[in-house]
Amino acid sequence: MSQRRVSHSQSRPSASRQVIEDDEEDLSFTLPSSSQVQRGMDRLTSAEVDRKVAEVVQFILIKDQKKVPIKRADIIKNVIKENRNIYPEIMKKVNMTFEKVFGLKLVEIDVKNHAFILVNNLEQVTDRLASMNPAHPKTGLLFVILSVIFMKGGAVKEAVVWNTLKKLRVDPGERHEEFGDVKKLLTDEFVRQKYLEYARIPHTDPPEHEFRWGLRAESEVSKTRLLEFVAQLHEKEPQNWPKQYKEATTSDARSSQAS
Amino acid sequence: MSESSRSANQQNGVRGRGGDSEEEDDEEEMLLGGPSATQEDDDEDPAQRRQIRHQYRELINCVQQNREDMLNPSNNKLTEVLVEANKLFANVRQAREAALDAQFLVLATDLGKEKANQLHADGSAFDPSAFAEHLLSFMGLNRLEEDDGMEDAAGGGYLPEDAWLRLAHRAGSCFRKAPTFHFMLGSFLAEPPPPRQRVERQRKAPSKEVKRIMPTQLKKMEESQQEATEKEVERILGFLQSYHNENPELPISYYEFVIDPQSFSRTVENIFHISFLIRDGLAKIYLDQNKLPCIAPVPREEAEATSSSSRQQCVISINQSSWREIIEAFDITAAMISSSAPTESASSQ
Repeated sequence: MSQRRVSHSQSRPSASRQVIEDDEEDLSFTLPSSSQVQRGMDRLTSAEVDRKVAEVVQFILIKDQKKVPIKRADIIKNVIKENRNIYPEIMKKVNMTFEKVFGLKLVEIDVKNHAFILVNNLEQVTDRLASMNPAHPKTGLLFVILSVIFMKGGAVKEAVVWNTLKKLRVDPGERHEEFGDVKKLLTDEFVRQKYLEYARIPHTDPPEHEFRWGLRAESEVSKTRLLEFVAQLHEKEPQNWPKQYKEATTSDARSSQAS
Repeated sequence: MSESSRSANQQNGVRGRGGDSEEEDDEEEMLLGGPSATQEDDDEDPAQRRQIRHQYRELINCVQQNREDMLNPSNNKLTEVLVEANKLFANVRQAREAALDAQFLVLATDLGKEKANQLHADGSAFDPSAFAEHLLSFMGLNRLEEDDGMEDAAGGGYLPEDAWLRLAHRAGSCFRKAPTFHFMLGSFLAEPPPPRQRVERQRKAPSKEVKRIMPTQLKKMEESQQEATEKEVERILGFLQSYHNENPELPISYYEFVIDPQSFSRTVENIFHISFLIRDGLAKIYLDQNKLPCIAPVPREEAEATSSSSRQQCVISINQSSWREIIEAFDITAAMISSSAPTESASSQ
């Protein structure tokens, strides 16, 4: 008993130290200069570099399963480790591997906090039989919410979202067969995955919240495609909503330029 | 202060001067005898209150004058005046000012509604309810069964099971979602299941198992254990009776009787077994002249006669050090209750 207590109290400080290290990791990390990278590269064989690259690729692929953005600090801490002096070179090769081998694209959605996501870089097919991706009902739910936000000009009060979902037989107060706790799914999971932003509207008392598109949605979702589908549902042309149409075309042009 | 209310202040110079008195917080006299002024809010400066009311009236006036401008969908004027009113409301303490705020709110709401209606007329408005209806059709809502589905709070019709999947298939083309990496045959998960769940499972599983085994196995064990205890109790009673019969006049010291100087655990066992004798009234413990506990057997007929309610209970404790102290104090060299182990092994062979 007493032994266990001792070991427990010993483990605690080390755990907190770990947390501090995690925080410091990214703060302390500054991109190495090109000469530093060059020197680091000279010291390693190309096989060693390729190995690191493969490890980073695998790490990102597995991390992506949860669709939560991947932090640069985690990549450095868990995979790159002592090779951090050649981080830019490794990431360059990682990007290339994703694009050339997997047809994916690694996007830094949050430049300030250095968070990455993977997006599909191939042309999407509408035909459900030809689609390689097994669909998940949550995609449907996400489409509804993102559409409402987009069509309503970028931000909607949460009540609008809940009312729309209620009409679709999804009640935030009840457990849904496919989505479970819908309120939690929207305000927690989708937010962590950066599909949605959920924030309190300033000057509201009692507090009211609104939904916006998250950073992942901005780079993963094609506004043109979304508007096309919304228009199709209404049996109208996308141009029927001039403001949204304009935004969709400009934003998609911007993202295709970037890729 | 927004432009609109500032310009309003300039228009009405007399009232505009009220703005200068804002800092005069020390002026404590109640100049106005309005119903709210009688309230005990002493820290409120009447001048400041006048100022707030004035600003509200200006704001309301300004909104009414520029109604068309406010309704123009291309600007954000309505939001701006709402923000302005919000700023004013931060200083509102009493009902009179609050009533003005409410008056303004009614006006703003009205404008908001009108503005929304105007958007509708454009044909480019987006109505989430209509959108939901279209989605329901797409998802294959069966509207024919409306009569059966009356209990559905959300309205008539029922959705097929794959409704959301159907939508997801079509909507998937809007997402440039990277396919996720899966382990072949799903052999293991990327990370351990959440710990809370695991604890639950662990707790549940063994309890089920124990329940299943209990009836057969535990019964047996209980029996044998009870038998062994009973035998031992009987054996000790035999010792007690034989010592008593040797010399009925000589009191038997409780401690001398139970202590086994070679074994502390035997001592504890003896105390435990003797407690049964006491409980059943087959032995009694009393204090002698020196206030030391003594033990004596009770004849069976007598034991059965006394009701259990007349008996008293007490708890005794013993630990290793007190055990040694007693051995020394009573100068115990040998156990009065000989260990049962040899006889048991002899009988089993």
